[in-house]
Amino acid sequence: MSFSIWWIFTYYFRPLIKWFLRKTTGLCELQRICYGTVSGAPRINGVEHSLNSSRSKQIKQLVDHLNDIAENRRFTGANEREILKGAVSTVLIVKKINPKIHYQFVSAFGKCVEQIWGYKQLISEVEELRQTLFDSDDFSHERRLYDLWDSLMPDEKLESRVTRQWQIIGFQGDDPKTDFRGMGLLGLENLLYFSTEYKSSAHHVLSHSFHPTYGYCFAIVGINLTSMAWSLLRDGSAKTYFYNTSKSLPTIRLFHSFYSYLFYEFDRFWVESKPRDIMEFSNVKNKFEQKIRTLLQNPRTEFRISLSVQNV
Amino acid sequence: MGFLTVLKKMKQKEKEMRILILGLDNAGKTTILKRFNGEPIDTISPTLGFNIKTLEHRGFKLNMWDVGGQKSLRSYWRNYFECTDGLIWVVDSADKRRLEDCMKELHALLLEERLAGATLLIFANKQDLPGAYNIDQLKESLELDKIKTHHWKIISCSAVTGENLLEGIDWLINDIAARIFTLD
Repeated sequence: MSFSIWWIFTYYFRPLIKWFLRKTTGLCELQRICYGTVSGAPRINGVEHSLNSSRSKQIKQLVDHLNDIAENRRFTGANEREILKGAVSTVLIVKKINPKIHYQFVSAFGKCVEQIWGYKQLISEVEELRQTLFDSDDFSHERRLYDLWDSLMPDEKLESRVTRQWQIIGFQGDDPKTDFRGMGLLGLENLLYFSTEYKSSAHHVLSHSFHPTYGYCFAIVGINLTSMAWSLLRDGSAKTYFYNTSKSLPTIRLFHSFYSYLFYEFDRFWVESKPRDIMEFSNVKNKFEQKIRTLLQNPRTEFRISLSVQNV
Repeated sequence: MGFLTVLKKMKQKEKEMRILILGLDNAGKTTILKRFNGEPIDTISPTLGFNIKTLEHRGFKLNMWDVGGQKSLRSYWRNYFECTDGLIWVVDSADKRRLEDCMKELHALLLEERLAGATLLIFANKQDLPGAYNIDQLKESLELDKIKTHHWKIISCSAVTGENLLEGIDWLINDIAARIFTLD
């Protein structure tokens, strides 16, 4: 019932209200959003919603065109500037906006487009990495695995490729290759980024994982968190984080940072939950995910990475 | 009427079964459970702790407990033994290196008093992989013929293709049902 009332409202009254506001303010909806809403997620969400619900044929075509570019990951480098220019001028023509007067709109709107389709492109990039299975015959994959060890355990040498030592950093058995499973290379890249770019935080978290009662398996928890980060990205919940953090085209590094944030926060949440033993993991993980989802629902949330001293 | 009979009668009404899925890590326990439940199986991470799923199948309510299999978790398996009607032991048929480990864990499990009445289904999983052991080879390496304390059966399957999963679970359910629901 409430759904159909809402539908009637958006279908019939939204254009009416938009027309009325356009006549009274002399600005189109996109301009009102770009001028009137704070930058970051609130503004970008507004622009995204406005573009997606537009009934103008040219805007619809533009949206389809940008979706196609993002899915095929052609939104990079010089291409990116061209695409942004094209998107902005399409809107300027359709909405009859004079760029000389509204130069602030041009720059603000361009930034929104960059973030909206940068995010979509990132999903496709992350998905490809996830679908790449860890392959022990691939030298570069193996190299990354050794890098992970060296970064986490700088004072201890691996005795061989297949060894119990892997369990120290929280893999399940003697050979980590099967632990990546459904998360593929993404799981390894996430762990490696956290361990190298936030070295002291990662060591801090790793030391918690050795705790006699609150201890856990660092790498396996990490792979489960990759799964969480990936699903938050894919269902769009993570937009708040990306829109509020990213200053330019979002790259895979930003996804790794999001993951690192989740890992650090999860560790704290785990210790504060005082779990009886590791068997409480699924339970605590679900509560943690709920907490993060609630945070992400507020577009004004800023994710200050409260990681302890970062390595530069 | 003894206490046990009352308990069994109560179970009979609900037709509820408790099934425990165990095996070494990377055997495919979670994948089997998800596949059987019709969920996607391409995004699974290693199980830390356990998963519970309640499924309706052929009029039975199945409480499936899937517990992580890595070495450090095996000492917690005992917390899930109580009231188990059926045990599914999942084997990675292609992981020959750890078959001995697998055999030892299985036989240790069967000594548990609280699992004494449970029906045992052994899933010889990953038959889709090249070089996977067949049922006869596994029977020998896992010393299955030594098992005299439980009703058991080994069935080859693949959680990825879904082959034989239904057959296996149906056998398990029939065996349990014959034991606990036909008292009178």
